Amino acid sequence: MGNFKETFTTPLLKGNPITVLVLGICSSLAVTVELKGALVMALSVTIVTGLSSLICSIIRNTIPNRVRIIIQLVVVALMVILVDQFLKAFESTYAIDKSLSVYIGLIITNCIVMGRIEAFALGNKPLPSFVDGLASGLGYGAILIIVAFFRELLGSGTLFGIRIIPEAAYAAGYVNNGLVILPPFALILLGCIIWIHRSIDKELQEK
Amino acid sequence: MNTNSNVYTVIYTTIVVVMVAAVLAFVSQKLGPMQAANEKAETVSQILTAAQFGEKEHWSEIGNKATLDFYKENVASSILVDIDAKEVGALDFTDARVYSTSDLKAQNYNIKDSSALSLPIYQFKNGVMVFPVYGAGLWGPVWGYIAVADDFKTVVGAYFDHASETPGLGGKIKDDPAFRAQFVGKVVDFADGKPFSIVKGGAPEGKDNAVDAITGATMTSKGLDAAITTWLNAYQKTFVSGELVNVFADAIKAATETAKAKEE
Repeated sequence: MGNFKETFTTPLLKGNPITVLVLGICSSLAVTVELKGALVMALSVTIVTGLSSLICSIIRNTIPNRVRIIIQLVVVALMVILVDQFLKAFESTYAIDKSLSVYIGLIITNCIVMGRIEAFALGNKPLPSFVDGLASGLGYGAILIIVAFFRELLGSGTLFGIRIIPEAAYAAGYVNNGLVILPPFALILLGCIIWIHRSIDKELQEK
Repeated sequence: MNTNSNVYTVIYTTIVVVMVAAVLAFVSQKLGPMQAANEKAETVSQILTAAQFGEKEHWSEIGNKATLDFYKENVASSILVDIDAKEVGALDFTDARVYSTSDLKAQNYNIKDSSALSLPIYQFKNGVMVFPVYGAGLWGPVWGYIAVADDFKTVVGAYFDHASETPGLGGKIKDDPAFRAQFVGKVVDFADGKPFSIVKGGAPEGKDNAVDAITGATMTSKGLDAAITTWLNAYQKTFVSGELVNVFADAIKAATETAKAKEE
């Protein structure tokens, strides 16, 4: 039981889904224009990975091996649809759900979810699987929020929709960087994060 | 127990799917009314945005209730018309009743197979009338609202939405304010059977009833173009014959009088 901490921290750092496993790149390019959307996306993915890992781990010994992937997919799809339904039901999240458009539904195809179920949940007890799922989602979410922070600040001059760069700066000739809004910049930023991550953690460097 | 036998597999998958379906049905039923309320407020906010009462973000900032209240305060009538511009009914605007996208979808079928129509027209006290359009984009339905001034000609604004167009490409019909800004000041012109066009490669110089299509989103632009053409043609008699002009004038008069009476 002592390795709970390790189960939790590995996906956050050494086994981070985005920077180390390089999974879930496509949605991290798409939903990081604003912090608000990134935060909702991060929470949604965390809930989905956590709960689907938990459920798949509970039923892992009963799943017929030949239809394993399909059963996992059904569980993941259930979770994603539930999250989507709840986001749509509340006034405060409805607009965000709309702005995330297809990406909430596309969590189903997010490699992190299926990847963690296949790699971890099917071979471990429910509780560690749940922790692993949550941590994977959080590891993904943390990167999402870092990227979104820079993109919203440099691209729109705001954070969570609140103006950070003062009007005076615009009056003095400052302009928002248009490139930052576009997906390619997210890729550049991700590259930088991976670079920093690897130069700090020597274990990740190839000989 | 052999978990790999055919019988086990079939029974297992059946049970899982039935359970999942039950959970989804239950949740969808419980959350349905809340979702419907949000969708209604969303539709109303799209109509208000098209009619230039405010930017789209404004309505989500002030919340559902304030949006509906604003609508109720400013709407003069919301009647239903058929293909001959005869009034066939009305939506209760004191309750902010509007056509949902599924209502529009049903009417879209009716237009296609020329059955009896009841198309909504939302008319505001300042004379602006909002006409919905609905059609097929690339991946799913696209719809929107075109606001026309009381001369039945000048477009004062438009707003479009979609179910699943590609973000950044077809999704621009909703997300790119520059796209819908093109509609402002254009006209609806029934002279050649195409009241309004979205033209790939750019609207020709001097053509008042056309806007530029979205680069990289040919199918979405075409779908929206077809939707606008189909629906505006269904409304043609409302525009051309002036059949409803008196109805609209009366509605505005009545609405202003009610407002006055309320103040006193």
